[in-house]
Amino acid sequence: MRISVNWLKDYIDFNVSTSELIDRLNNIGLLVDEWEETEEDVILELETYANRPDTLGHLGVARELGAGLGAYLRPKEWPLIEADEKTSDLVDIQVSDETLCPRYCGIIIKGVKVGPSPSWLKKRVKAIGLRPVNNVVDVTNYVVFSTAHPVHAFDLAKISGEKIMVRRAKKGEVLKTLEEEDIALSPEMLVIADSQKPVALAGIIGGENSSITEETQDVFIESAYFDPVSIRKTRKKTGIQTDASYRFERGADISFPPQAALMTASLLSQMGGEAAQQVVDIYPKPRKNKTVVLRNHRISKLLGMDIRRDFIERILAKLGFHIENKSPESWQVKIPFFRVDIDREADLIEEVARFYGYDKVPSVFPPLKDVEPGFDQKRARINELRQSLFHYGFNEVLNFSFSAPEKEVKFHTGRAAIEIKNPISSKASLLRTNLMDGILENIIWNRNRGAGGVHVFEIGNIYFWKNEKYGEELRLALATTGMIEETHWAESPQETDFFHLKGTVEAFMSKLRYEPFIFKEENHPYFEPGFSLLLYYKGEMIGGLGLVRKDICKNYFLDEDVWGAELSLKSLFEKQPQPFRYTPVSRFPCVRRDISFLADKDIYFQEIKEALEKLNIPYLDRFELYDRYTGSSIPQDKASLSLRFIFCHPRRTLQAEEVDRFQQRIIHTLKTKFGFQLREGG
Amino acid sequence: MNDLNKRIEEYTKKFKKDISEVRDKKSLQEVRNTYLSRKKGLVTHLLRELKTLSPEEKPEAGKRINELKETIQEELQRVEQNLESPRFTERIDLTLPGKKRYLGSPHPITLFQQEIEDIFVRMGFSIETGPEVETDYYNFEALNFPPHHPARDDWDTLYVTDDLLLRTHTSPVQIRILEKKKPPVRIIMPGKVFRKETPDPTHLPMFFQVEGLVVDEGINFAHLKGTLEVFLKTLFHEKIRIRFRPSFFPFTEPSAEVDIGCTLCQGEDKQCRLCGGNGWIEILGAGMVDPQVFKNVNTDPEKYSGFAFGLGVDRTAMFAYQISDMRNFFENDLRFIRQFLQK
Repeated sequence: MRISVNWLKDYIDFNVSTSELIDRLNNIGLLVDEWEETEEDVILELETYANRPDTLGHLGVARELGAGLGAYLRPKEWPLIEADEKTSDLVDIQVSDETLCPRYCGIIIKGVKVGPSPSWLKKRVKAIGLRPVNNVVDVTNYVVFSTAHPVHAFDLAKISGEKIMVRRAKKGEVLKTLEEEDIALSPEMLVIADSQKPVALAGIIGGENSSITEETQDVFIESAYFDPVSIRKTRKKTGIQTDASYRFERGADISFPPQAALMTASLLSQMGGEAAQQVVDIYPKPRKNKTVVLRNHRISKLLGMDIRRDFIERILAKLGFHIENKSPESWQVKIPFFRVDIDREADLIEEVARFYGYDKVPSVFPPLKDVEPGFDQKRARINELRQSLFHYGFNEVLNFSFSAPEKEVKFHTGRAAIEIKNPISSKASLLRTNLMDGILENIIWNRNRGAGGVHVFEIGNIYFWKNEKYGEELRLALATTGMIEETHWAESPQETDFFHLKGTVEAFMSKLRYEPFIFKEENHPYFEPGFSLLLYYKGEMIGGLGLVRKDICKNYFLDEDVWGAELSLKSLFEKQPQPFRYTPVSRFPCVRRDISFLADKDIYFQEIKEALEKLNIPYLDRFELYDRYTGSSIPQDKASLSLRFIFCHPRRTLQAEEVDRFQQRIIHTLKTKFGFQLREGG
Repeated sequence: MNDLNKRIEEYTKKFKKDISEVRDKKSLQEVRNTYLSRKKGLVTHLLRELKTLSPEEKPEAGKRINELKETIQEELQRVEQNLESPRFTERIDLTLPGKKRYLGSPHPITLFQQEIEDIFVRMGFSIETGPEVETDYYNFEALNFPPHHPARDDWDTLYVTDDLLLRTHTSPVQIRILEKKKPPVRIIMPGKVFRKETPDPTHLPMFFQVEGLVVDEGINFAHLKGTLEVFLKTLFHEKIRIRFRPSFFPFTEPSAEVDIGCTLCQGEDKQCRLCGGNGWIEILGAGMVDPQVFKNVNTDPEKYSGFAFGLGVDRTAMFAYQISDMRNFFENDLRFIRQFLQK
């Protein structure tokens, strides 16, 4: 809302510098976003709040500023040049819907000479960023931006039947607006009509068929109070927002329509018109002011300090509140109609606080009383997981939760995506059902900007419909492509591969103690068949990893191999990890045995591993595959596997003979179960 | 005799210096000759002079000279071995770069969010979270936004159905927690939020917020100020300027907005790209919990009071790191993200 400092001075006297003025306004909650100093005026861009329609005019802002500066509003006279007739003689006004229009006032000004406004008025209109049109339009704008109360001017000659009907629109009625737009009306909308047709969309915009033109002689001024919810609904349905609708929607001052009508009439009669006698005022159920009890001790309790009674009373009076009754403990406060935001005691306490000054309230650290200390297991786990991923060279990314339908569909997630009714764009019309889409975008973005390798992960939710309920699932996705380490003069560059990815997954699963976990070579919709593993923990599938399908990569213009994984952290975190257990380190030497075998290439290592684990060899501390060789020196269908076994006894040195026996059991099992052949020198 | 001792000490020192300067076999041989040459060697001379000493002095002096000789021989041998090893024959330029491990970097927003969380956790707050897809009730109505109130327009909302939406703030978690927990409550609620905004340097359709809530008997506005001042001074620095000014949020009364002095220009630059020249940056929304919110969760506003606050993680990180375009956070350019390895 643009505020002219000169205009404010029509209502209060003050003499402070612009920067002090801005500070004062900010301190009472009228935030000045920007300001501009012109030759003869200062224009402030004021941020206003949805609950303060009274500050949408200069009068309201002046009232606030006056309270802040200690100045009272200067009363203003609105003299009339009156005609002989009464308004009610010239037009018949009927309100058929009191709910949507609780109060309707009108006055007629005869013999208006439509033409350019006087220069003082032009200045005012320009100050608030509007273009002067003619004296009638400019006056109505002046009234709105002075009082925050919208008024509307009709060309009386165009009102047929000398009849103003405030009624709901009929089905099929159409109104051409001042902006020459045809609006299809419907019965929940309130219109102003004459005996034949709608002439305005009530409280929002006038019709072209009743508008002021240069030929206009007599003017009907409408000054009403319309139901805020109804205005809002109609505004939203028609998409027409005007200065009037903006104010009615937030709540106009129901006590004010006669004054706004008189003010308009006064201004127009100063420009050559004659006002008909008496404002017509249809207000069948006059409302009562709200009253709110303000208790002294509540102010102290809520603010954490005492404020003097005389200060409280003075501020309330300056703001237009009326103290009806008071006792040593409390006040009974009558709320003026223009303060639609004040309903409860807390609202009045805010009034006192903001004029007392938030800066004068002390800063006190609250006493730390017994609150059960919450410890969030999930967050701790996420953090450990992130640390593992950083260690393995994966960078954290964060992508928008939105996705495009044509990309989403390629992942075949089997999840029904949630559609946004009013998306910011068609490329962001769904909520993602996978994280890999974003990750692939990140890869191509960085590749296009010269990255030799991209290794990234994201932790975040996916969203979906499940049995007509919405669901969210916390996931982790990671992917790796290209060169792995920073180039170094002493080492040849190394390219990432599936086992870098898998090693990372194994590392964090183990770090989080989700052990034992199992991989199975099974298909996953994101990954190439045959290059896809599924990860299981405690019998539940947690996610998959593999080579991202080429037809998916193509959508991102990615030609290279991308190794990716996506896991459900929700499923994982619902399960208990193994408890941490410490095992004493043996003080006796451990025995190492390296054994090499020739084995069929197509035997899964996973099966070998499981078979060895099942053997339960005593004192076998651990075993690992330390070499795997295929090549010309061995048969084509075979691989040479070298396994290292470490045996430790906690309380004594192991004898060579007993370790020999364990070794024989291992060799025997691998020979009989998998047909391994022992290699020489193993 | 004294003269002999002096020379032994002198030769010991001199040898240490000479041997430390040896870089090749030739200079090694020269050192060897200087001390041990059968004709002119300094140590050989000393041994010869032994004869001139009295029988009482001889054994002691002889022992010392022999010790020196042995030390010299050992050192010569050690240096000779070193000169033969490839480490010395092919000299390595030690100023070549060291080997670095490639470590992954955290995302600045997660990093900054954790920084915020840590401060509050140290102040005794616990962390709570809630769903990102919310009902109208939790996102608006329970927070005292009436169904058709224009205040809703300030929270441009992305809707899924008439009743289901992408939460526009983390405030719904306040309601979810107060519904099941009796005061005292002292929590922060971090998370993702959504607004119907077209991306530009200072607006995004998705961003991160941290919301805070303290409810107990006797909690007041001074406590709100005290808590937020400690928080902001810890997050930025002890001397940061802080301003509380009145504002409006449906779910707090009185409401406040908290500004900090501009982190870039300190209010000195009228054209400042961060604060726009007014010297202040809006950083937090806050206020005393509205009595209607307490009623909505069946808590007696006469008995309990509380304060709530919220801040945008992305926005605050922008000011803390002086990032001028918020979109940087979601481009996920590794050249941007990896700078935060050093944070």
